[in-house]
Amino acid sequence: MTRIRPVTELDIEAICRIDEQITGRYRPEVWEDRVAYYIRRDPDSSQVAERDGRVVGFMLGEVRGGEFGMEEPTGWVEFLGVDPGARGGGVGRALIDALASRFKAKGAHVARTMVRGEDADIDAFMRRMGFGPAPVTALERRL
Amino acid sequence: MSDEIRMLPRAYHDAVEHWQRHNFPEYPELAKRWERYFPKDREFCLCARIEKDMPTEIQVGEHRGQPKALVPAELDPAAAEQLLAIIRAQASTEFGSIQQHHGTFERANDPQDQTWVLRVMAEELRHGYQMIHLLTSADWSSVTDVKPADMVEDILSMQTGSHVLAAFNLEYDSFGDSIVFAAFIDRVGKYQLTMQKVNAYAPMAASMPPMLREEAFHLAAGVIPMRRWMEAAARDRNAAMDVATIQKMVNKWFARGLEMFGDERGGQTNVKLGLKDMANREAQDLYVAECVKMLDDINTRYVRAKLPHRSRDEADAAYERITKGDTVEGITRDDLLRLPDRRFFRRRGEPAFQMIGFDGEELTDVEEYIAHCLEHLPQAYRASIDTKHWMEMQRGVAGGTIELKKAVASMPRLARVGGTCPCSKSVRWVIDVPEGPSGGGERVNP
Repeated sequence: MTRIRPVTELDIEAICRIDEQITGRYRPEVWEDRVAYYIRRDPDSSQVAERDGRVVGFMLGEVRGGEFGMEEPTGWVEFLGVDPGARGGGVGRALIDALASRFKAKGAHVARTMVRGEDADIDAFMRRMGFGPAPVTALERRL
Repeated sequence: MSDEIRMLPRAYHDAVEHWQRHNFPEYPELAKRWERYFPKDREFCLCARIEKDMPTEIQVGEHRGQPKALVPAELDPAAAEQLLAIIRAQASTEFGSIQQHHGTFERANDPQDQTWVLRVMAEELRHGYQMIHLLTSADWSSVTDVKPADMVEDILSMQTGSHVLAAFNLEYDSFGDSIVFAAFIDRVGKYQLTMQKVNAYAPMAASMPPMLREEAFHLAAGVIPMRRWMEAAARDRNAAMDVATIQKMVNKWFARGLEMFGDERGGQTNVKLGLKDMANREAQDLYVAECVKMLDDINTRYVRAKLPHRSRDEADAAYERITKGDTVEGITRDDLLRLPDRRFFRRRGEPAFQMIGFDGEELTDVEEYIAHCLEHLPQAYRASIDTKHWMEMQRGVAGGTIELKKAVASMPRLARVGGTCPCSKSVRWVIDVPEGPSGGGERVNP
């Protein structure tokens, strides 16, 4: 049974754990700053997934408007991670559904995200969740 | 999930701003730091926020299913009376915590920690404003003869030492108290606000979600610096905060936090009246479990910093062994933070003045017990009036010279301030002014 609930400051260590399983790096300072950012701006939107009382997934995001010339309120999905041992069981879908529902309640009619070209798994996951190409192009310049 | 802004009538809005100038002079600094520390966050607004689309029927208690009250007169008289006391206590905590934070604000050694506390203080001011809005936006004459202006005057006149709850009558010994207070005492606040989301008085229930959203950051403003202190303590034995110092601050605040839930045996009336959805012990149990989890997380940060060569799984296994009493690479259980027994150093509630030690051990000699408690408390706090008062009560209860009931009700320095503003002994906080269009709605980040 997967339980979805808003992220709290007591999820930081569990998020570090999932991140470490995925990236091989323990980065508490990074996740402390990120979780604090979402909690102080909109503690209802970012979510974690629990199984048997253990956090097995997280998804951080918020509704913003006016970025990149897009005035409409947009629900941005910005960080996500699912414990490798809990994948394939609908955790990611449950998280994205929860975020989408919160975004909608906050007035957003569109959710957006950006996926690095090398993250084929995430790209495939997002497409399965109903995300498709957006009418924006990500550009960069090396400095 | 959206809220509506309400402003206090001019006289009350001015009274809160006047109070701020005397008790929270750091407030203007928040606007200066906002863009650096909270870029693009919604601007701070000194206003009341009322959540829209809340349940309209009573959710718990004897009147479950009936329409929620829109004015106090629609409440069961007992519920209205109890609710008035709750609002007054809640307001007292909001203004009281600002006075406590103010005492050590300038002693912060980390600008981010200090700015986070500054935002917490501003949001507490808003929460106090919210409670005053509840008191002044409705007619409470069905349960009290006290006029709204006098209720507000009473709240704004309270100082550290005369607040309703003991936790707000303790002065901070250092800026570290601001952090540990946020982690432990604001956590109780979160429980109270959450329980009151079901309140049978609709304006009270609708006041809770916006406050809770802000409270979520307050908890982070406590826990994250504590995590970083522990990491620093693991790496550097001369770090600003060592584990023993942090532990003593935990011991100081945890007992007072437990008492904020009220007597463990009570709280059923609030549920019956539809004011809260949990009785005291039930809520306190959840709080204790959450505090255990908080210290586990913070300790994990410490162990990872101490054992950087170990993998996550190895570090987790090491942590488990340490908590069971083993020593792993020199780390013992005493090197980690621990939650005291919930009966330790208690002055209210079921275990009040029982001589239960930090680990739950029963002590029989009062002097031995006092020495034991002092050993577990911060040095500066040991020398406080609060500690002195507690020692007197503890000795009196143990020796049979003071009734337990009297000791429980006793607080040090109960000097009720007589409703005067420090500007002038003849001026009150609340002053009659010609009614303006609104209270103003000052924004610190326009």
